[in-house]
This record gives sequence, C-alpha cells and structure tokens, in this order.
Amino acid sequence: MAAEIDLILIIVLIVMAVALAFSIGANDETLASLIGAGVLKFKIALIIGGTAIGAGMILFSGGFVSETVGKSLLGEGLESKYTNIMLLAVLISSIIWLIVGSFAGIPLSSTHSLIGSIVGVVIVYAITQGGVDLSTAFNYTKLGNVVLSWFISPISGLLITYLLFKVSAKFYLSRLKGLNQIEKSEKSFKWLLLIAVIFAEIWVGANSGEALGILLALREKGSIDPFQYITFAIFCSIFAFLGIYFAARYVIRNLASHMIETRPSEGFIVQISSAIILMIATIWALPISHSHVIVFCIIGMSIAQKKEVDYKGLGKMGLYWVITFPVAGLLSGFLYFILSSFGLS
Amino acid sequence: MRDIEEKYIEEKELNKLSIDQLTHLFMDTINSQNLKLIEGIEFLVEENFESFEKNLQYVIDTNTEVRIKKRFESKIFKSKLMFSKADRLKLFAKINEIKNIGEFIANKLLLYRAVFPDKKFKLQIRSVLKSLKVISNNLSDAVKLIGSDLSKAHDICEEVKEVRRKMRKEEWQILNRLYNYDMDYLSRTFIYLKELIEDIMTLADHIKKFSESIQFLATKYLIFD
Repeated sequence: MAAEIDLILIIVLIVMAVALAFSIGANDETLASLIGAGVLKFKIALIIGGTAIGAGMILFSGGFVSETVGKSLLGEGLESKYTNIMLLAVLISSIIWLIVGSFAGIPLSSTHSLIGSIVGVVIVYAITQGGVDLSTAFNYTKLGNVVLSWFISPISGLLITYLLFKVSAKFYLSRLKGLNQIEKSEKSFKWLLLIAVIFAEIWVGANSGEALGILLALREKGSIDPFQYITFAIFCSIFAFLGIYFAARYVIRNLASHMIETRPSEGFIVQISSAIILMIATIWALPISHSHVIVFCIIGMSIAQKKEVDYKGLGKMGLYWVITFPVAGLLSGFLYFILSSFGLS
Repeated sequence: MRDIEEKYIEEKELNKLSIDQLTHLFMDTINSQNLKLIEGIEFLVEENFESFEKNLQYVIDTNTEVRIKKRFESKIFKSKLMFSKADRLKLFAKINEIKNIGEFIANKLLLYRAVFPDKKFKLQIRSVLKSLKVISNNLSDAVKLIGSDLSKAHDICEEVKEVRRKMRKEEWQILNRLYNYDMDYLSRTFIYLKELIEDIMTLADHIKKFSESIQFLATKYLIFD
C-alpha cells in the first residue's frame, strides 16, 4: 500500500513538473519585443521562441540550476530525508502563491516562490520531525548565494542595459542624423534583435530549473532512474515549447501591441543584457527571476534615455518581490505541517 | 527668390520616386502654391486685381498635388518602413492641410475686391506677407531635411517659431489700426480686411504648429549621447 501511494506520488510530481514547464513557457514574454518590432510572423516567432526555450531547458538539464533547486540547497544531514511529500508541499504552496500573484496582477517570480517553499518545508520538518539540526539543514553558502543573486541580478541588468545604451548612443546611435538613416539602422537591428531574443530564450529555458529541479530531486532519491530523468526532461522542454505556442501568445500579443513604438535597437539592448545576466546566473547554478531582470533592464533603459520611471508601480512590485520568499515559506511550511499531521511525511 | 512655378512631372517619373522624394515633391508643390497665394495678396495690396485673381484662381485650380498624394499613399502602405510609417503619413497630412487652408483663403478673397485704406496699412500687410513667405520657405526646407538631418530641421523650425512670434505682434497692430479707422469706412471692406488678416494668422499658425510637430519628431527619433 505504501509503495502504491509512493508510486502515485511520483506520478503526481512528474505531472506537476511537466505542468510547471508548461507554465514557464506560458508566462514567458521575451518574444513580445520581437513581435512588436514586426521582425517575424507571429506563429514563426512562437515556434522559434518555443524551440529556443526547450533547447535551453534540455541542454542544461544535466545540473546547473536544476541541481541547485533539487539538491544543492539542502544540507548534508537532510539530503536523504527529503521526501516526496515535502516536494509536493513545496510545489503546491508555490503554485498557490503564484495564482494569488496572478489575480493581484503582480508578476511574481516562480523561482523565489519555489526556493521560499523549500526553505519553509525544511524548517517545519526540522521542528516537527526532530533529528535535524537547522544549522546543518541547508547548504547556507548556496542559499546565501541564491538570495544574494536575486538582488544582484536585477541591479546588474539595470547597470548593463544603462552602460550598453550609453556606449551605443555615444559611438553609434547619436550619430544617426535623419529619419532615413535611423530607419535603415533599425532594420539591421531587427535581425540583431532576433538573435538576442533566441539567445535570451535559451538562457530563460536554462535558468528555469524549477521543473527539472523536481525531476532531479526524484532522481537523487532513486524514485526515477537517469534514463527516465532525461526522458521526462525532454517532456518538460516539449511542454515549455507548447506553453509558449498555445498559452503565451495572448500575453505576447498584448505586450507587443504596446511595443510598436519601441525601437529594435532598444529591444536588442534590453534582451542582450537580460540574456547576459541569465547566462552568468545559469553557469553559476543560481536560479534567478527572469521577470525581475527584464523589468530592471527596462528601467535601466529608461534612466539612460532620461525617461520617466513608474516608481509607484515599481514599489508595489518590490513589496511583492520581498514578501514572496517568506510567504511561500510560510505557506509550504503550513501545508507540510497539515500533511505530516495526517501521517504523510 | 524661389521659383514659384510648378513643374509637371510625368506619371512614369512619379512612379520611380521614393517615399522621401514624393514627400519633398509634395512639399515643393504645396509651397509653390502657397507662395503664389502670398504673391496674389501682394497684387491685391497693389490693387492689381487682374494678377491677384489670376494667382488665386491658380491656387484653386491646380491639382498637381493630387497625383503625388495618390502615388505616395499607394507606396507608403506597401512599404516595409517600420516605425516611421505613421509619422510620415501624419507629416503628409499636415502638408496637405496647408493646401486646404490656402484654397479656403483664395476662395474667400475672390469674393470681393477691397481697396486698402492707406499706405501705412499696405506697408504693414506687406511686412506680414514677407514674414509668411519666410516661414513657408523655412518649413519647406525643414520638411526636406527630416530624412537626412533631423537636428537641422529642428533648428529651422525654431526659426519659424521665432518669426511667427514677431508676425503675431505685427498682426495685432494691423488689426488695431483697422478697428480705429473712421466710422464712415465701408463695413464690407472692414470685414474683408479683418478676415484677410485673420486668415493670414490661421495659415501662419498652421505652419507654426507643423514646425512644432517636426521638432517633436526630432526629439522622438534622435538619440543624444
């Protein structure tokens, strides 16, 4: 009976991981600048973007961010005690918090939510089950680096965008005199934007380790073998593609309609800056929020162009950004406490 | 002195022109009609009614710009221009508006043959017309520079605004003068001259607003380091 429940739980977790991969694709708005600039036909752009995010996911499925999410955050004393029920509590709580965010109209980070949930579950486990010392329950160096990267990555995105714009303005963009010259230059930037978006999408896929992190945790605990892990990782990348193709199109179309006036050169700078940040974070196995990075890149662009910045909206977003980690932690801890009180631990 | 005679362009040649070249040609055509209108009013001041009517009739009858407009519209909707398409269309519509205002003024002025009250009044009107010519020509230059040098176009538009400011003072002085003539002055002549001054103001105001929109374009498209 216990084995059957465990099997059902594994299946549920795999299905949730695949669904999470779908939602990663569905919430991706990277293609909006490409559509807004009219570089490609809508469906072709969706296919290219979906392929790139799927490729990024599968190319980096061997470790990196998914290893951090599924394994490296936990301390040596806890790795073997990390159960499927704990994983389930983590997933359900982060999903609840993301849904709340969606209804509130705030772009919440799935990464922050998931990491917060892991921390919450582990703390409750340590308190209720005993035998775990909180000082060794986490890999605090890794956890510290992850949390630090959430603050450093958006600020770095802002700075890189600002600098890239200033340099390109000084040496190239400000030297374009007339409308014909500007139009011709922006036509060339359209193709650079396409390359930047593909590059960014690959790193979005590579850094979205939430789905693969669950699979990796299942692999680490011996619930699935390496071959099954790769198979389900491929499934995840396919579903990320499908998420972009079938679900993200509405967000992308909506955002793109507001971006018609945005110049491809600006879009290129923003996309290349966020891609650089995502690439560095992925190589260092740090799960960061793509939405936060891109928002700060856009702010960097606005500051560089001396445009107005919506500080009120930014403050509201910042508040949700800060409370995501503790709220997700509290939610998952509470959920795990309920489950464990029913004997499911 | 600018050539105010329009040149006829064959349909074949028109087809070969780019969007930019069509805009320039359209601007030149409208500007030459504008200059013809101003020259016509100068004839009226000189009481050379025959030339006055000839010039104003020319402004009403000429429709060269219609061919250019059609060619431009068919080209711009098919063009692969990215973000400047809407702005180029607006620009074209604003040039066209000059023609509409000019045609309206010409039709109105042809309703009556007014005799100007005195030499001083004539001198003041001539001065305003001279300024109108300057801003009309400057605007034409600014429009033609949009494709190649927005910064220069912006500077020219600043000059247009400056001249327009000076013109406004003169226009109020003339109106003041008109309102203070003797009571036995013919009422229809009074209305005619009052409306002539106000119509010149309308045309100058449109040119000024057009200049401001060119400056807005320059601010929108130019990137400063």
